[in-house]
Amino acid sequence: MQGGSTGIGYGLKYQARCIADVKSDTDHTSFLTGTLSLKEENEVHLIRLSSGGTELVCEGLFSHPNEIWDLASCPFDQRIFSTVFSSGESYEAAVWQIPELYGQSNSPQLECIASLDAHSSKIKCVLWWPSGRHDKLISIDEQNIFLWSLDSSKKSAQVQSQESAGMLHHLSGGAWDPHDVNIVASTTESSIHFWDLRTMKKTNSMDHSHVRSIDYDSKNKHMLITAADESGINIWDLRMLKAPAAELPGHSHWTWAVRSNPEYEGLILSAGTDSAVNLWFASPSNEELTYDSVYTSTAKWTESLLHSYSDYEDSVYGLSWSSREPWLFASLSYDGRVVVESIKPHLPKKL
Amino acid sequence: MAVDDVPLDEKVKKTRDLLSSFYSQDTSQNSAPVNTTSRFATLDTINTTSFDADQYMNLLVQKSNMEGLLQRHVEMAAAEIKNLDTDLQMLVYENYNKFISATDTIKRMKNNIFGMEVNMEQLLDKITSVQSRSDGVNTSLFEKREHIEKLHRTRNLLRKVQFIYDLPTTLHKCIKSEAYSDAVRFYTGAMPIFKAYGDSSFQDCKKASEEVMSVIINKLQDKVSSDSESIQARAEAVMLLKQLNFPVEKLKSKLLEKLEQFLEELDLSKEISMDSANPHESPDEGIESDSILPLREVPTREFVEVVHAYHVILPDSEQQLVKLVHDFTTRHFEAAKRQIQEQISSAKLSNRLRFIWTDVLLIDEVLPEAALQDFAFEAACVVVKQYVTSSFSHLVHKISDTLLQIQKDGLGVEYPLMAALEASRNTLIQGSIKVLSDIRNLLDEDLGLLLKFRDMIVSWVLEGFQTFFKQLDDQLLLLSGKNVPTDKVPPGLVLVMAQLSVFIERDAISRIIEEIGSSLFGGSYEYGGSVFVPAEICHTFRSAGEKFLQRYINMRTQRISVLLRKRLTTPNWIKHKEPREVHMFVDLFRQELRAVGSDVKQILPQGLTHKHSRTESNGSTSSSLSNTLRDNRSNTNRARSQLLETHLAKLFKQKMEIFTKVVHTQESVVMTIVKLCLKSLQEFVRMHTFNWSGFQQIQLDMQYLRITLKDNADDEAAVEFLLDEVMVAAAERCVDPSPLEPAILDRLVQVKLAKTMNQEPLAS
Repeated sequence: MQGGSTGIGYGLKYQARCIADVKSDTDHTSFLTGTLSLKEENEVHLIRLSSGGTELVCEGLFSHPNEIWDLASCPFDQRIFSTVFSSGESYEAAVWQIPELYGQSNSPQLECIASLDAHSSKIKCVLWWPSGRHDKLISIDEQNIFLWSLDSSKKSAQVQSQESAGMLHHLSGGAWDPHDVNIVASTTESSIHFWDLRTMKKTNSMDHSHVRSIDYDSKNKHMLITAADESGINIWDLRMLKAPAAELPGHSHWTWAVRSNPEYEGLILSAGTDSAVNLWFASPSNEELTYDSVYTSTAKWTESLLHSYSDYEDSVYGLSWSSREPWLFASLSYDGRVVVESIKPHLPKKL
Repeated sequence: MAVDDVPLDEKVKKTRDLLSSFYSQDTSQNSAPVNTTSRFATLDTINTTSFDADQYMNLLVQKSNMEGLLQRHVEMAAAEIKNLDTDLQMLVYENYNKFISATDTIKRMKNNIFGMEVNMEQLLDKITSVQSRSDGVNTSLFEKREHIEKLHRTRNLLRKVQFIYDLPTTLHKCIKSEAYSDAVRFYTGAMPIFKAYGDSSFQDCKKASEEVMSVIINKLQDKVSSDSESIQARAEAVMLLKQLNFPVEKLKSKLLEKLEQFLEELDLSKEISMDSANPHESPDEGIESDSILPLREVPTREFVEVVHAYHVILPDSEQQLVKLVHDFTTRHFEAAKRQIQEQISSAKLSNRLRFIWTDVLLIDEVLPEAALQDFAFEAACVVVKQYVTSSFSHLVHKISDTLLQIQKDGLGVEYPLMAALEASRNTLIQGSIKVLSDIRNLLDEDLGLLLKFRDMIVSWVLEGFQTFFKQLDDQLLLLSGKNVPTDKVPPGLVLVMAQLSVFIERDAISRIIEEIGSSLFGGSYEYGGSVFVPAEICHTFRSAGEKFLQRYINMRTQRISVLLRKRLTTPNWIKHKEPREVHMFVDLFRQELRAVGSDVKQILPQGLTHKHSRTESNGSTSSSLSNTLRDNRSNTNRARSQLLETHLAKLFKQKMEIFTKVVHTQESVVMTIVKLCLKSLQEFVRMHTFNWSGFQQIQLDMQYLRITLKDNADDEAAVEFLLDEVMVAAAERCVDPSPLEPAILDRLVQVKLAKTMNQEPLAS
């Protein structure tokens, strides 16, 4: 083992790719994570940080059919979440409810609230309405983008509208704009599209290839952060889509996931296939124009790598900030290891 | 007595003297004491006013004896008394004679005065008659005289009128004889009359003469404007014009305008002459320049003369002239600036500056008010600074052009990258040396203009180097396609730039410091406190070198990544058919690697045998192939324990760092690219699900790579490890992993190898 581990670890039985913060749990710092095992019985773990903040406790262990490729927690009900799962051949997406726990810990069955079964191709992700109690869901597969209306009491989900991305584009993911809930950004292999949900039409697009992860800046409504295989992390100003406003070098190999901190502006977390998680600080500089900024349009930003967490055994695919304690984040490496870390020791003094 | 001494020759005189001495108290007073005191102490009062004859006598009697008395008597009576008597007599006679003659004269006068009165009366009569006659004449002539005077006045008036009537003709004559000053005098003389009567009697005449005068004015103007006239003549003309109340100001401005125009034309012609003024450098234009060269000096001379003339002939024109000569100088310097933009040699620049300086000195002589020297200094400062800056920016462009040459004719050369690197290195060094020697030449010129700010030039050059390297860095960044789509920049170019940066950091800077020292400071150059900070530049280029190398690797891996992505995403792996041969993507992969190899072999140095260094690593992963494969081969049900074993294996197996720091060597670059690509392959594999045939296909492809990659990569262990990792990933993602029989695997690989062996000689 390299270096002293500062994080709190938790081991899953199998390999895993996704972890999500349980946003609606205001009493505890909890995360949901699901395993990715082709041949074994897959599980969903509800993990909670103990009150002392010293260990991760498994609050619930639920068996889940098929391996989980995407997992998202419902923003208004901590017991509801969505998954995208695959049997190897076909992909499915569903919204699940965690059954009430009455003390028993032997894997109770998850209750399927709704099956998002309108998809015909490889499903990529499910997005929840950014915040608050709302019945809208978005699911994205390679060809189409679906807007669902979810009725959790009737346990049904209806397709409200759908739109094809076009023959030439294969959608790979997306993000719901938290500042303007009518806008959803979707990624394809060559570009990023912006959809207006009211008309389900593309309103705008920019060219940026092989985006792995996309996240809106939670504080600055004009900023969008993307991570791509080779070209690292880019920060875009939505008002100027021609070129990125700032570039961060990213990781030694691919940058897989990127997340902006829900509370502190400018803090960006990235996870890469080089078995590392990097903490960045990037914000528009208030300083006078320096020599560099005269010559390069992007240098109006101060960017710095605050810390690199490299204590991982495998590629890190899962990454999530805690919305309850925004100085905490959970990371999940492919070998099924969850690590919750605090960024506090690495924050610059001025924050 | 004193009288005794007097000679008796002149009777009258003697008498008078005697009388006067006798009667004069003064004489006796003065002489008596002298005489008496000698003999008688008490008898000395005889000649004084207080002389008392009785007392004297008594005293005499009492004091002297008889003899004495007698002697005294003799003395006094005998001689003196006699003399006195005769003198008295003579005086009487003389007076008498005079009286007689006076009487005679009076008698004669009485006789002569008689007829006189009659004559006087006659004379009076005559005078009166003369007077009356002359009065008569006077009155009779008076009328005639008045008439004559009138006639005379009329004549004068007529003459004046005549003059005025003749004025146009006279003026014409004056024009003919070019006696403009006379003409002006005549005309100004006639002016009062024209003013008084111009509207009535002399209307025509006035008009005519005005016409003539306008001709004269025109002529005068022409004269003023014409350059062939002498300066005095022109000054005179201006004076005359002024006398004629002609608006000289207007004329002046017109003239100055003309001068300005002349200036414009002058400078244009200079452009031409300067462009071809260097017969040595452009022998083809020799004929042309020969014809133009002699003209070179003339315009300025002319200009200077004109300025001088105007300065003399046009009063109050200094300001405009100063402005004009400033314009003139500015124009000069602008021409110089234009030339600088066209990239001229230092010789040309110094020539140009010399010309300017000569002109400036010439003008300064005739117009010292302009303070043209100072003005020229300022302008020269700007120009020389611009020259320095533009030399450097030209150099930047030249280097970038040299680099871009790769794109154009890179295909023709055997080792395009090497050629480009060599060329750009040379351009950099030669260019810097040339800039320095140019400046050296400029400084060596014994030019008054430049001597003053020699130090400034040197500091500009140092500053120039500093900004030059910064600009070069920016330019390289720009060329590396920071803001343009990557596919437009050839990766080789980026690699060349990486090496160029290394060269600048390691060699060029020190060379240039040496050059600066030898050519600007005549020795070694101490750069403490200077604007040129080599350490900073070294740092910049060190990081630039790393950046470019990283970028090169990124570009290459991106290309391969596209290849791999296509390979992995296209087929439906879950329905894959049994592998029949090694997939062709490995050929493409190896082709790309070969391209990288040929790139790096051209310009990167060979590294020492590469060893993994733990400290430089920033990421790690470990292999678990053997366990997984072995387990998978036989048993699929023991997955849980298998994963546990994998974890355990990871704990015990030595970690393999894959992401090591890249260095500027062939092996390091190739290995980094290979490693990144295999890692990408692993990640791609992890995202798919395979059936057993798909798995076998991957197995086959990896087996082939295992054999062939040895040629490309020197770190076999790392390659082995990563290929194992791909296999692990594939096994994990396989529903039913059952590897190919080693025999079949081997045969298929051999078939492929044989095929490639046949193709490669053909290809190369």
